[in-house]
Amino acid sequence: MGEHWAGYIGSFHVHWDTLITMWAAMLIVIIISFILTRKLEIIPNKLQTCAEGAIKFFLGNLSEVKNGEKHIPIVASLFLFILTANLMGQLPLRLIHLKQGEIASPTNDINLTAALAVMVLLYYLFQGFKEKGIHYIYHGLSITGIITTLVDLLEMITRPLSLAVRLFANILAGEILVSVILGIFAFMAPIPVMLFEIFVAFLQAFVFMMLTIAYILTSVSEEH
Amino acid sequence: MADLATLGAGLAIGLAGLGAGLGLGIATKGLMEGIARQPEASGKLVGFFIIGAALAEACGIYGLLIAFMLIGK
Repeated sequence: MGEHWAGYIGSFHVHWDTLITMWAAMLIVIIISFILTRKLEIIPNKLQTCAEGAIKFFLGNLSEVKNGEKHIPIVASLFLFILTANLMGQLPLRLIHLKQGEIASPTNDINLTAALAVMVLLYYLFQGFKEKGIHYIYHGLSITGIITTLVDLLEMITRPLSLAVRLFANILAGEILVSVILGIFAFMAPIPVMLFEIFVAFLQAFVFMMLTIAYILTSVSEEH
Repeated sequence: MADLATLGAGLAIGLAGLGAGLGLGIATKGLMEGIARQPEASGKLVGFFIIGAALAEACGIYGLLIAFMLIGK
């Protein structure tokens, strides 16, 4: 927990365990999406009903955003990837031990969550500039206009920082909590904590998605 | 200096837990008042409460993170 199986590619510092588990999470999401959306019919079968339910969930959360269905790709990918990544750290990967420690979920590495957060930042900046042009960042040459611009610039740093650290710290704290309870009493005692961590996995994926939607909403909606 | 780092770790998790606990308490109070006033809105209120609770709890976990960083040095 907390330590990584580190190495170098050229001069880049690489965490191999995070890399491998991240690719595994991506593969799982891609394969499940592919299986669920094969052979689409007008009268849906069981698998297609599941996929339509998931899309309805994302559409319902995006209902306040103008042209909400346009943003489904990034929002749905983020939610499904983070959920898979959080969940696969809980049980299956805990059984594999390396000499550097047990393999954990890829989201307990700050590098991965920071990459996701920067992606969200670039996406909503792009959407804002596409929607409003230069007036997204330029509010006129008055005192309030300049202060608003400065606050916007500050938000470009604080928003990705809080997104990244929230997800990373929650998952890492979960792993540490389970290890501590395992150290106190190894039989049965960690089970409620691990069940709570499964709930946290859903919750953090949901919170990441809702904050992404809120940021997209503030950047594309008209000002009042 | 290790003693000071341990003290800092204790202070970090203590103060962060204080803030997060206060925030969660206030959020729960608001939820209870809202449900008592309008029981039929409870489904929607609980959804927002869970998001708010996760955001408040995250602040406590920042403190935990700093505490572990201080101890791990």
